[in-house]
Amino acid sequence: MKRVFHTAAMLSTSTLLLMGMAPLAVAEETFSSAQLDVMAGSCANCHGTDGRLSGSVPPIAGRPATLLESRLLGFKNDEVADTTIMNRIAAGFSDDELAALAKHFSNIDPQ
Amino acid sequence: MSQQHKRDGFSRRQLIKGMGAASLLPLIGGVAPFAIGGQHAGRVVVVGGGFGGATAAKYLKRANPAIEVILVEPAETFYTCPFSNLYLGGLRDMRSIAHGYDELTDRYGVRVIHAMAEDVDTDSREVILSTGRHLDYDRLVLSPGIDIRWNALEGYDEDAADKAPHAWKAGPQTELLRSQLQDMEDGGTFVMVAPDNPFRCPPGPYERASMVAHYLSQHKPRSKVLILDAKDNFSKQGLFTAGWEQLYGDRIEWVGLSNDGRVTRVDAGRLEVETEFGTVHKADVLNVIPPQKAGWIAERAGVTDDSGWVPVKPDTFESRQVENVYVVGDATVAAPMPKSGFCANAQAKVVAAAIAASLESRPAPEAYWTNTCYSLIGPEYGISVAGVYRVQEGAIAEVSGGLSPADAPAETRALEAEYAVGWYNAICQDTWGTST
Repeated sequence: MKRVFHTAAMLSTSTLLLMGMAPLAVAEETFSSAQLDVMAGSCANCHGTDGRLSGSVPPIAGRPATLLESRLLGFKNDEVADTTIMNRIAAGFSDDELAALAKHFSNIDPQ
Repeated sequence: MSQQHKRDGFSRRQLIKGMGAASLLPLIGGVAPFAIGGQHAGRVVVVGGGFGGATAAKYLKRANPAIEVILVEPAETFYTCPFSNLYLGGLRDMRSIAHGYDELTDRYGVRVIHAMAEDVDTDSREVILSTGRHLDYDRLVLSPGIDIRWNALEGYDEDAADKAPHAWKAGPQTELLRSQLQDMEDGGTFVMVAPDNPFRCPPGPYERASMVAHYLSQHKPRSKVLILDAKDNFSKQGLFTAGWEQLYGDRIEWVGLSNDGRVTRVDAGRLEVETEFGTVHKADVLNVIPPQKAGWIAERAGVTDDSGWVPVKPDTFESRQVENVYVVGDATVAAPMPKSGFCANAQAKVVAAAIAASLESRPAPEAYWTNTCYSLIGPEYGISVAGVYRVQEGAIAEVSGGLSPADAPAETRALEAEYAVGWYNAICQDTWGTST
């Protein structure tokens, strides 16, 4: 499951501009930027593009990575009391993947 | 606008052959077929502006703005099937399920052409539009949705659909069904004919029955819903059945295949249907959800197989039959992923990443997909099915997921109804940039 580390140079300009991040901040230890975009893609279907939409489903962009990661792991281990679907979804990802997703969304400007 | 469209009348490749590059540039004008810095990043034509196509166009531009992306969609306003049942139930108006293409054009630089794609020449890599114009492509994305298999169910053709609407493509058909429901006398029977698998939106017929029952309970309390089904099991069956009993008592009757539920003939003029063993049911409003197949342009492109659906390579959703043609959404054979708008959107993101990679001769990222389908049984009673999908041993596999718990308290059902609305707003914002 481990993937080759891709340097910031591999990141497309568009991704950086759209997400408003510094190049090095998004580099995950095990996943390329393109891979993270695909992995995070479905999150947008309920949390809005880049996880920014506010509504009955909370936005996830710009939240602290530690908070997002512990929440995702809580869902995965079915430890969150008022869960509806996130326990069923988080169970489909490894802990490393959830940590990478947490970091990915924490690095996105919420605006 | 007309000038801009006129330029599509020429194949870019023919132009390059016929003229010097210098004379080509002014013709292309604001279309920017070349990457910043002069490098050619490629042209992708996307056919179909629903959940799959609009998402593919947007995410291609996000992956690499230098890719020229042209979206071909006849309608200027797209009505979603998701939440069209809420319109039928009186919970929403049609405007709230209508979406346009301005954000794709203005924010992402997608060029949207409102025309019908009538043919595809996969050898010369050209899409032929209803206007007669040709668009050549480096990669083609088809998101054609479904077409009805007219006459596959005896008596159900296009004329019959004017009397017994399918309403399985949102728009005028949905409005027709709603007006028939409103005109129905109290005490009438709403008969729904439900198809065998596979078909668009597996829980859709049962959410529709719920929303119709909700409307009837408010406005025509002596009326009933009868579902005649060509199968013995359906999506979220236990949850639907329990919800129906709780909210609607015996207002909804479901007759499955084993109890002679399979309809074999439709007489739309008389609003009658006949089942396999010869039982005739008379309807006051007749909703026929007929057998389906991939949208017609998929056949023209040669990507469908004998089943009428489109087999795809699981990693990228490129056609198994034709190179450089990628297909997303309901048209594909993607089981265990269901034919849902959510899946179409998720598949489109994987396709966008795969195409962006292939245009740069990079390997495609590994595919990840998720699906969540909410269904409303009542305005404050929601249920869901969710799944996460990966490629395992060369096939799509569900790695996690499942249904809402059978014994969930009313608060959970209310929360899922609320999240259903949040989901709808988010996926529409993610697809077209509009949320209501």
